[in-house]
Amino acid sequence: MTVGPFYSAPRPFSRVMVANRGEIAVRILKAAREAGLGSVAVFSDSDAKSLHVEVADEAVHIPGESLSETYLNSEALISAALSSGADAIHPGYGFLSERSDFAIAVAEAGLVWIGPPAEAISTMGDKISARARMIESGVQVIPGEELTVPEGTDHLGVLATCAARVGYPLLLKASAGGGGKGMREVREPKLLRTEYDAASREASSAFGDGTIYVEHLLTGARHVEVQVLADSHGRCIHLNERDCSLQRRHQKVLEEAPSPAVEPELRKAMGAAAVKASQAVGYEGAGTVEFLLSSNGDFYFLEMNTRLQVEHPVTEMTTGIDLVLKQFEVAAGLPLGISQDDIGISGHAIEARVYAEDAARGFLPCVGKLSTWKVPQGPGIRVDSGVRQGDTITVDFDPMLAKLIVHAPTRRAALRRLDTALSDFIALGVTTNIGFLRDVATHHAFASGSVTTDFLDSSDVSALSMTEVDPTVLVAVACAAQKLGLERTSSAGAPESSDEHTGHSGDPFRTLTRSFP
Amino acid sequence: MEWSVVGGNGRFTVGVSDSDGRLSVSSMQLDGSTVNPPDVSIARADHGGQLKVEVSGTSHLAHVTKVGDDWWIHMDGRIHVVRMHEPGSSEAESTQGGMSAPMPGTILEILVKQGQRVREGQDLVVMEAMKMEHRIQAPRAGEITRLHYSVGDRVDMGATLVEIGD
Repeated sequence: MTVGPFYSAPRPFSRVMVANRGEIAVRILKAAREAGLGSVAVFSDSDAKSLHVEVADEAVHIPGESLSETYLNSEALISAALSSGADAIHPGYGFLSERSDFAIAVAEAGLVWIGPPAEAISTMGDKISARARMIESGVQVIPGEELTVPEGTDHLGVLATCAARVGYPLLLKASAGGGGKGMREVREPKLLRTEYDAASREASSAFGDGTIYVEHLLTGARHVEVQVLADSHGRCIHLNERDCSLQRRHQKVLEEAPSPAVEPELRKAMGAAAVKASQAVGYEGAGTVEFLLSSNGDFYFLEMNTRLQVEHPVTEMTTGIDLVLKQFEVAAGLPLGISQDDIGISGHAIEARVYAEDAARGFLPCVGKLSTWKVPQGPGIRVDSGVRQGDTITVDFDPMLAKLIVHAPTRRAALRRLDTALSDFIALGVTTNIGFLRDVATHHAFASGSVTTDFLDSSDVSALSMTEVDPTVLVAVACAAQKLGLERTSSAGAPESSDEHTGHSGDPFRTLTRSFP
Repeated sequence: MEWSVVGGNGRFTVGVSDSDGRLSVSSMQLDGSTVNPPDVSIARADHGGQLKVEVSGTSHLAHVTKVGDDWWIHMDGRIHVVRMHEPGSSEAESTQGGMSAPMPGTILEILVKQGQRVREGQDLVVMEAMKMEHRIQAPRAGEITRLHYSVGDRVDMGATLVEIGD
């Protein structure tokens, strides 16, 4: 018997399993609890002590270390759901979130799929069929020629001919790719082979599909994407845009809403195009239609992400709508309950992705133990974190540790809040990009709202650094820390934060002698 | 003990004076030459892992933690690493002509052969870690004298992958 908020919904469910890990698993598991739903986490061998395991009502171990044994193992995930009594699966982002065969398998197992219909996933997931569908429905696509490189044929010959027709510079994309993986820029013909091999390998390791396609590269454009929400009763609305122009090798670094380049009229036009694109595939749930916005205000369909986005919080902050809760409601078959006219924009939000990577060494991912992890707090500051103090960061997973989201009345205020919050973000023991994020967030190009997607790749990143700390002071601090014996009291454990009188950390309802209820 | 700022240049030695738990710097050398010691006064803060640092009379709070020989310092909104060295020890990173793995991962592709001449910046090895590819490039021109791994091998951080001779 189904209990909870959706007991009388058309597709009732009461216990959600999140087939994911890291910050997004934490985000969704907490949302489930808030909605009054039960929550189930899954974990691989190396995730046994991870944060997402801790926040769920129940956690199911899926033995194995490799992704194919665990978070990409649809059979094991579905049996974990069934054995734990979950009656719905939320895929998060990445992993199996955009695999229509998984969506189908979930439904066939009698579980509710918290995501769009399988047909929408497969049409949009294959970038070639997505383009064709968009052209059919009158949504403008990127200029250039559609090209397929079928697997198992003479890649290079076919590819070179195609590339010559499309013209350089071009973009090689894995048809099943996303998130910057399996995507490579090729500026001249002689680099075609190496870049193709790399893209194809990345795509098959990350998505289990090595198919690649070719597209003309638009330079000097902005990446602007529109959040959509659709229910199973035919209503589809958009929740304005996010601007994700600040990227490094097609990985988003800072994302904001609204876009500094989008005026109300353009917003309306892009929103309408996004709704049209979604309706063309019978979309349901939360999705994102990505566009490239050229400097003259023309915009072109890039792709549709048929899942929750990493950067969804900036939309939540500026519209006040909890996208994960809406995903639950739509999956339960409930109507959206809001119309386009209900959607406004409140202030400005910016998200910064905190990665374990070393900007000074070509953004190499970094590993180690997070001996200190203190996230910033305060009005208009949200941190969606997948880690906690003491966690060990390994090479097994994506190096994104957390997302910092700030919200303020204006863009200028949000920028100041972002810089302040970043400077209060204390992550010691593992090299992170926090300093780099400060450098780009305070860079005049970003502050003026004028960056295009090629900004970071065409800038000397080391020249961005604003650090001007006297090395002699740092050496003195380290030397003093050593002499004062700070290594014994480092903030790795909890004891030093507890109150010396009561022994209870920060509990305001305790006094020296007794505790209050 | 010698000290270096990771990402910076040179080795420091420091003379410290202690006045009732407040430390100040009495002398400092950089690579053997005397430099002006910073005007600092440093004491434990009330909470573990924190120091009160006065620089020329202005107060700052530093969060510090030690990992191996590295002191991680968060101060003024920036994170720094200061490394301790045994006096006279050599830099671990400056292995002569050897190309080491910048992080743990798997060898995807080896683009050179033993005995091959390479130019500076040429791609030598492709590695995968955290689902992304990284290209290991030649730090200088020379001849490949040794290849330590094969495609598919898992390597640890710092493992020497390739050696380059003249």
